[in-house]
Amino acid sequence: MKGKDVVIGISAALLLVLVAVIVLLGGTAYTPSREIRPLAKFYLENCINLFNKDWWAASPEAVTSMLWDYRGIDTYYETSVFFLAIISGVALFRIAEIKLDAEGRKEEKELGLSIIVKTSTRIVFPLILIVSASVAFHGHLTPGGGFQAGSILAVGPLLLIAAFSRHFLEDRLRLTEDKCLTLRSVGLILIVLVIALPLITGAALLMLNQPKLWAPVSPFPAYVGPIWIAGTLFFLNVAEFLAVGAGFTLLFLLLSIPEEVFKRVLGL
Amino acid sequence: MVLAISVMAFALTLAAIFTYFAIKSKDLVKAAVFSAGQSAAFALAFFLLMAPDIVLAYVAVAVGIYTAVLLYVISKTERYEEEGER
Repeated sequence: MKGKDVVIGISAALLLVLVAVIVLLGGTAYTPSREIRPLAKFYLENCINLFNKDWWAASPEAVTSMLWDYRGIDTYYETSVFFLAIISGVALFRIAEIKLDAEGRKEEKELGLSIIVKTSTRIVFPLILIVSASVAFHGHLTPGGGFQAGSILAVGPLLLIAAFSRHFLEDRLRLTEDKCLTLRSVGLILIVLVIALPLITGAALLMLNQPKLWAPVSPFPAYVGPIWIAGTLFFLNVAEFLAVGAGFTLLFLLLSIPEEVFKRVLGL
Repeated sequence: MVLAISVMAFALTLAAIFTYFAIKSKDLVKAAVFSAGQSAAFALAFFLLMAPDIVLAYVAVAVGIYTAVLLYVISKTERYEEEGER
């Protein structure tokens, strides 16, 4: 058995070296080079360009301006796919609508992990909230954005469920499934409003960020006073942050329902 | 440039080692932790490839959420894989 492991290890190492040599010799035809391709050049030159505002997105973050401006409809469809996945999860768990009754509950001290884990979770949890908020609210200026911030936010409730219990989230923090679903819907409605607002103001273009040649008026300014908000990008990031964070939290709440509850509800 | 490539080679080799242990481990909880370690090594490589946006999503999903879902699945079944000849 030991000899077999050694053979596997050596051959895996050889395979790694072989692949590295092939890539270094140009076997994959394109390896990241220092030259910028024409498509990348367009985005780098135009995502923030104060001298020629025909194609700009008013954001120094090329990735966010691509996600929510240049290919905005695509990202909108991604968000709807994620929403459909959440909805199917909720539909699968619809038998769990019966509330967990208080009688079978243990004392709160008995639930969850040791006091060391609980204390460190108490320290880490607010930090996770702050990091996710800063990633979301600065998504149009620094790396990050709505989805990244939302998935970081969802790690917070996940830690709370693991270290404390599901009841801690529901009873102490009053974060129930219905509230998560509401937050998720608020995020989606905000996204739709931001997308549709240019239609109302007469721009005749869905998801308009900055004025274009054929749509000279945009309801979203690049900055308000000293605060740079990059048109729609700020609002879309914050709305996606709410939607993704609340959606993941809802799934974790559903997954953490104890198995006995299902068995009792189904009469097994 | 040379430093970045060497650190990247280190990170990816580490990821390969983690993957090997994740496959070999008979204790599924340990395998999930090895998988999280592999994701952390990949995150370092993504950062060196100048993709900080990917890093932010990848760390939260692959190290946090994915590992948690794996542990949840393991809690529904047995923790130790049986020694089989297959």
